[in-house]
Amino acid sequence: MTDTAQRTPAAPHKDINTGPVQRSWKAPIALGVFALLAVILFMGFGRAGESTLTLSARADSIQLVPLVLPTLATCYIIAAVLVAIAVAATLMVRRGTRVPLWLTTVFSILLLLGFLVWASAGANLPIPGLLAGSLGLAVPLIFGALGGVISERVGVVNIAIEGQLLAGAFSSALVASVTGSPIIGLVAAMVSGVLVSFVLAAFAIKYVVDQVIVGVVLNVLVSGLTGFLFSQLLSPNSDALNSPPRFNEIAIPLLSEIPIIGHVFFRQTLIVYLMYLAVACVYVGLFHTKWGLRLRAVGEHPQAADTVGINVGSTRFWNVSLAGAIAGLGGAFFTLGSVGAFGKDMTAGAGFIALAAVIFGRWDPIRATLAALLFGFASNLQGVLNIIGSPVPSEFMLMLPYLVTIFAVAGLVGKSRPPAASGKPYIKS
Amino acid sequence: MPKNIALRSAAAIGAAVLFLSGCAQAPETDGASSDADYCARMVTNSGGLEDRSFNQSSWEGLERAADEFGIDAEAIVSQNETDMAPNVQQAVDTGCQFILTVGWELADATISQASENPDLHFAIVDEVVEGDNIKPIVFDTAQAAYLAGYLAAGVTKTGIVGTFGGGNQPPVTLFMDGFVDGVDKYNQTHGTSVVVLGWDKETQDGAFTGDFEDVNKGKTYAESMLDQGADVILPVAGQVGEGAAAAVLEHGNSSLIWVDNDGYETLPEEFRPIVLTSILKNMEDAVVAIVGADIDGDFNNDAFIGTLENNGVEIAPFHDLASLVSAELQAELDQLRADIISGAVEVSSPSTPE
Repeated sequence: MTDTAQRTPAAPHKDINTGPVQRSWKAPIALGVFALLAVILFMGFGRAGESTLTLSARADSIQLVPLVLPTLATCYIIAAVLVAIAVAATLMVRRGTRVPLWLTTVFSILLLLGFLVWASAGANLPIPGLLAGSLGLAVPLIFGALGGVISERVGVVNIAIEGQLLAGAFSSALVASVTGSPIIGLVAAMVSGVLVSFVLAAFAIKYVVDQVIVGVVLNVLVSGLTGFLFSQLLSPNSDALNSPPRFNEIAIPLLSEIPIIGHVFFRQTLIVYLMYLAVACVYVGLFHTKWGLRLRAVGEHPQAADTVGINVGSTRFWNVSLAGAIAGLGGAFFTLGSVGAFGKDMTAGAGFIALAAVIFGRWDPIRATLAALLFGFASNLQGVLNIIGSPVPSEFMLMLPYLVTIFAVAGLVGKSRPPAASGKPYIKS
Repeated sequence: MPKNIALRSAAAIGAAVLFLSGCAQAPETDGASSDADYCARMVTNSGGLEDRSFNQSSWEGLERAADEFGIDAEAIVSQNETDMAPNVQQAVDTGCQFILTVGWELADATISQASENPDLHFAIVDEVVEGDNIKPIVFDTAQAAYLAGYLAAGVTKTGIVGTFGGGNQPPVTLFMDGFVDGVDKYNQTHGTSVVVLGWDKETQDGAFTGDFEDVNKGKTYAESMLDQGADVILPVAGQVGEGAAAAVLEHGNSSLIWVDNDGYETLPEEFRPIVLTSILKNMEDAVVAIVGADIDGDFNNDAFIGTLENNGVEIAPFHDLASLVSAELQAELDQLRADIISGAVEVSSPSTPE
């Protein structure tokens, strides 16, 4: 998010080489529009009553007092602050200074808080539940996005994330049911993710088939195959083949007692802890190890990598396989980490959202994770608000996650550049 | 070497798919064919024959009819939207007198074939269509959902119950309308103020997951409702409801109401202790009765509407949770059922089939 902004000169000294100084009006315009929307919503459709924000889950040992806010007054104050920030941003750009990131962040948080208070008028909004649900919806997206980042960084476009998730969900449910061990189910999920990757890699690297087409075909293939096996094999014998044990929640001592976020992040199943580990490993691995350097070299400039003795084909093949294993783990979350039994097409497009998170996160594991979390939050917010009875029609709320993603990609990310050789097969000449 | 492995696995998977899809096309046949003059065909929607929903129960009905009347019956399974019209055509081409189509997606194909073949008799499940030779089979699930709502209000300890749907469509919201009204009825009778989360009958809007597949989303929806204090949850969202079952099981001290079939029988075994009841659609008896009438030459195009009166809809036994339902509550439910059948209590919804 900061890169594009940094390229804009901070001080108004003219430099012929970099062209005329551009004042970026993007930030104040965006802030102004959102401040205006907030004013219209909070004042035009003001809601009376009190909004209760519960800060502690029932299981927490430290119980915080619920925050009770008078809806109308809080909304008015927040709207006023939002307008003030938008005006301040305009003045800053006029003076030629850049709008600092912290100001935009404060603006976003206040806007969100205002919306939550407005929507929960006369109702009770449990913040820990809202966050926990967001993480739950984001976990498979994060695994999928990590798989996508690795695969694309090494130069193979991975449209097949959806297929890898679904294959992982299917085989983890089946294997865990048969063996009775969720750990073995997890391994099976990784293996099936790798198998899907093998097909992708074989066609993309060896036979130089268009990677997007292979990916799309793989998604349809996995959906059809798992759907078929589900109806013919799993459904008739669901007791033996489709009732896997689920992972239990493990509370990490001390950390899980932190108010508000402790329960959300540190009272989770093994898969979620694996997810934290995977994000850290992929980040460190990609940017601070020999493996990551080679991987990125192959994805950016395969010819140069080849010249210094890196085997492009095999690097791509094995890293795409690794990506499949990670995405497969995400698939296991649907079954072993969440609901147990496999259901037809149960990933419901999560792979495509993960793909969007890869691009939104600019092919960076940490940013892609944040993007996935944002999407998870928006999806869950939509659900929670519909349940507590917000005045926004449910059809509109269902668009919310996608709207947020589009705005975030267009507004915050700006121009993003994929790895140079992503999607281009390397043919050694 | 790795490429070879990959190639082999690709080839193996490809071969497996070809082999398996070969299996998928195999038609389901029934041996009985003593009444050689009469035969029936059924066309499913993309849910397939083992969908634990109306395809499955319609087919079970047709199989029973085949046994009882000694006729020949076969099912043609649609894989997706595009092969529905050809499948209905195929059913017509078999020369059978009676064709049963399942699901609103098949309405167009059924109507066009019915008008081209006025001599044949058609029936369609879950959709009301006009046609001289088409009999719609629909269910007024609101009646059974009304009983379920009354039951939920009687059982809840927190005074809050919840429901959510897969999409804002009449077959889904019909359940939710009935449920909300049932809770209201309990409140009126007992002077309580049990609240329903997730559906507002007035505005016809509420909580929807937006699809019928994303089980994980069903779980977070149910968790949000449990967070709000709800202790009875009614998901009307196909397999998404299994997510709600998982949430209820993990949460404890709460229960689930399933739809379409008896969740106690059809859900994975671990969920049995939390299934309070299920809102049933009795497709089987309806199909048997309609086929029987057609064989006797009594076919008509009046819609069959499943109600409490004709056993088309019902609530399932309480199984493991029967202890939650007091004798008085059971008596009130029985009285309510009788009142709905007699018309003393009217269950209405904008989505009620007519």
